[in-house]
Parts: sequence; structure tokens; C-alpha cells
Amino acid sequence: MKTTTARQSASSGAAQPHATALELQGVRKSFHTHEGRFEAVAGIDLRVGTGEIVAFLGPNGAGKTTTIDMMLGLTAPTSGTISVFGKAPREAIEAGEISAVLQTGGLLRDLTVRETVTAIAALHGARDRIDTVMERTDILSLAKRKVSKCSGGEQQRLKFALALLPDPRLLILDEPTAGMDVSARRSFWDTMRQDALAGRTVLFATHYLEEAQDFAERTVLIGAGRVLADGPTAQLREMTGGRVVGATLPRGRPTEPAVAALQALERVAAVQLNGNRVTVTGPDSDAAARMLLNELGATDLEITSPTLEAAFMALTGEDS
Amino acid sequence: MNPTYVRIELFRQSRDVGNLMFTVLMPVVMYLLFGNMFGGGGEPAGNGNVKFYVMSSMAAYGAALATTSIAGTASTEAMLGWGRQIALTRIKPSGFVASKLAVAMIVATGCAGLVFAVGAGTGARADAPWVWTASFLLTVLGCGIFALYGMGIGMAFKSETALGVASGGMVFFAFFGNVFMPLSGTMLEIARFTPMYGYAGLVRYPLTEGFGAGEGAGTDSPGLLVANLVAWTLLFALFALWAVRRSRARR
Repeated sequence: MKTTTARQSASSGAAQPHATALELQGVRKSFHTHEGRFEAVAGIDLRVGTGEIVAFLGPNGAGKTTTIDMMLGLTAPTSGTISVFGKAPREAIEAGEISAVLQTGGLLRDLTVRETVTAIAALHGARDRIDTVMERTDILSLAKRKVSKCSGGEQQRLKFALALLPDPRLLILDEPTAGMDVSARRSFWDTMRQDALAGRTVLFATHYLEEAQDFAERTVLIGAGRVLADGPTAQLREMTGGRVVGATLPRGRPTEPAVAALQALERVAAVQLNGNRVTVTGPDSDAAARMLLNELGATDLEITSPTLEAAFMALTGEDS
Repeated sequence: MNPTYVRIELFRQSRDVGNLMFTVLMPVVMYLLFGNMFGGGGEPAGNGNVKFYVMSSMAAYGAALATTSIAGTASTEAMLGWGRQIALTRIKPSGFVASKLAVAMIVATGCAGLVFAVGAGTGARADAPWVWTASFLLTVLGCGIFALYGMGIGMAFKSETALGVASGGMVFFAFFGNVFMPLSGTMLEIARFTPMYGYAGLVRYPLTEGFGAGEGAGTDSPGLLVANLVAWTLLFALFALWAVRRSRARR
């Protein structure tokens, strides 16, 4: 299932993306395993404009990391093309235009924080940026500490610093906050946001739904190696059937006429009754709420938006 | 090759005290033990004395051990994800391997240098300065082949334990390579086909000119020693290549 309508509306959003930062066309990747051929990425088309912040959302095993590895030139696609600012991924890496915070791991435990930054800066030919990136990611105070003595959040900040060394125009983050507590996650994203405002294009993979909700204007939903949906994060939620209105019908009155009246409303997808508690699902929550309060004398009214998790379940066809 | 990276890596290796004790101090200690075992080691042997023979053997062992363990870390680092971090920089894979080799060779040189220095201070003698120079240069240049061995093992098995086994294997190679003790008879016949035989034989060649130290060992021509070294270089190179290919295909 693929939503081309969502894609169109992505480009009609407030921040009109201009030049293309990243483009994937028909990208596939298969591996040979003991059980035969396994297709980790089964045909992905994606275009990210400069300045966009895109969440790459999907469960473990959806093909997120494999796709990211191909964007970074760490592995070659089996078929299809990838271009980063019009270049091949490896060329873009060598030009310092794309950089990434990789998943957990990826650091040498017996180096100090400053040594790690210096070593990678030397390989980038960007030794003049060491202090800038360390200040930016707030790790100057950790400079002399061994990596093994740093917390998970501190290690991710260090990796963020490494990713900023080449001053990239496109920054890719592969589950950057995995294993962090809530406050560490928040402070990481605060830093991230300031950075994103400086005109960088950001694509981040996550399976934390709230991260996509809180930090990305656009979400690309990926499952089983395919793009399941692609659009503004807010719109993606509405695609799954709008809001849910819940209310308690007054006791001592028959409930059937009330249910019938609610079902008769326009654009109502479903009405469910559980004892005296009624839930109405549909895009026009206002009309249902008005009827429940004014005509049916209902109490304890609640209106909720479905979570991205529910959106995901609806799109992947899995039961919640 | 990147000088800053090499410098940081050297600092890092110098902090790994356990590994340093193992690779740097052990050859020195073994020289002191074995060098005094055979009647004080002062007897003449070839173009020098017995102590020189033991010293150059132990320097070769230490240098080979150092390159094995350091080159092997390149593959365990790749396993820890550091390789991916490196792959996101401008440096080419060959440049990274060259930097790692430089580190291995520098540590190996230091290691061999220490054994030679202790030897010079405790009675190792050669008839001419060129014997010292030639022997030392052969030690430092020849140990490079064990970098291929260490890298191959590390890539093939992808664990720190495997690297420990690779280093432990060097003790075996050294024993069967006629490095620790002069072998004779059937053992020596087998030894001629083991990886350290050619290397250690060449390191000692300026001193012995190929004369074996064991009973009835005969003389090895430089051609035979070079053939052993070249054959094992090719074998280790093929092994390393196979291991790299295999780990790539798995990704």
C-alpha cells in the first residue's frame, strides 16, 4: 500500500522544499542467508528536499538500517540508484556533505572523548572544527573522560559531535536515542533542533513513535522493506480514521436510539457501545460531540487522536 | 596514512598495559632466560656469540607477536562498529589499513629495539656492526607478514577471544619455527614448513649464515628461507583476503 496523495501534500506544506538533498529510486537490497535469498529492502523510492526534517519510522527489521547504510555508501544496493546532492553516496561522504550518527556502538571504549573527536577529525581533515563541535554538543566537560566511562546519552552526544565534524548539509541519524532515558532523549533533541534550524537536512530513523510526532514534519513509514506511507506527520494520523469521541450515556434511558442517531451522522466510521460508554470514530469529531452533549445528555466526554502506533497498525494491517 | 590517527592509536596502545607486558616484556624476559641457559651464552656462534643468536630470535618473536595482535585489533574494531565510523570519513579503506600497519610496525620496532638494547647491555656480541644492523632491519621488515595473519584471524572469527588464540598461536609457531630452541631431527624437518622458520632464519642469517644451531641441522640457503617467507606471505594474504570477502558478503 502506497499513498501518493500524502506525498503530494508533503510538498505543498508550509516549508516548501527546494533542491533535492537525497533521492532513492527503486532501491532494493537482498542478502543470501541459510534459508535462501532475503530481501531486506524491497523497492524504495524517496525524495528529501533541502531543509526537511524527516522521520524514518518502522519496527525493527523493517529495513531502516539497511536503507541508511546504502544512503551512506556503506553497502551497495542490489539494484536502484541513490544520489546525495546529485552525487554518489561515497562521493558525498568524501565531500563532507553527508554524515551520520550510527546506532549504538561504533566507539572505541579505551579512547578519551577528545582523542575520539581528534582521531575522526584528522580523518576528515577538519581539525579546526574540534572545539566547535565539542562545544555544540556539550561534551567539552567530558574531554578527558574515557568513552567507557560515559553514559549512553553522553556517548550519543559524542557520536553526534563526530557527525558534525565535516559540517554536513545532510545529517542522518540511525535510532540516535536508543537506550536513553527521557531527559537525555529530550536534551539530545533540543541540541538536534537548534542544529536543524541552521539549515541542515535531517533524516532520522526511529521506532519511538513520539519522536516522529515531536520532531518531524514529515514521516516516512517503512515496513517489510517498503514505504508504506509518506506524508506530513500530522496528516498521517488523520489518515487512519480521524479522532475518537468517547462519552457515557445517561443511565435509565434506552441506548439503541442514541447509537442509531450517532450512526446516522455524516462521516462516522464506527460506533461502539460498551455498557453505557459509547465511542464514535470518524473525522468529524465536533458533530458527534455536539450531539452527545446537547441531544443525548451524555457525560464524561473525551476526544482523542489516534497515536502513530495506531496509524502504523492500520497501515501495516496488524492488529493492535 | 594519517599521522594524527597513528599518534592517537600509539597512545592508545601504550595504555594497554596487559598487552604491552605480553608483547614487549616477555621477549626480553625470555631472552634473559634462554640466553643464559646454554653455558652463559658467551660462546662464539657464527659471526657473534650465542647470546646474539637468542637475542635476535626473541626480537623476531616479539616483533611478530606485536604485529599480529595490533593488526588483529583492526578487525575487532570493525566488529565493534568503529570501522563504520571510519567508513564515514574521507579516508579510504586502504589508508586506514596503512595507518594500522604503521602503528603495528612502530610498536614492533620498539619491541625489537628493546630486546636488542637489553642484548647489547648484557653481553650479546657480533663481529661487525653490520651484523647488528642487518639483523635488526630484517626483524622489523619481516614481521609485516604476521599483520596479515592477525588481520585474517580477526576478520574470520570476529571476536577478542580469536585474537587471543591468534597471539597464543604465535608461541606454537615460534616453537615449531625453530625460534625458541634449536630443533633437530624430524622436528626440524617439520619446522622448515612452518610460518616463522623462514622469517627467524633470515633474521639470524647475518649471524649464522644459515648454519643450524641444532644437532646435525645442516645449513639453510637464503633461497630456502626466502621461499618459506614468500610462501607464507602468500598464504596469509589469501587467508586475509578470503576473510575480508566473507565478512563483506555477510553484511
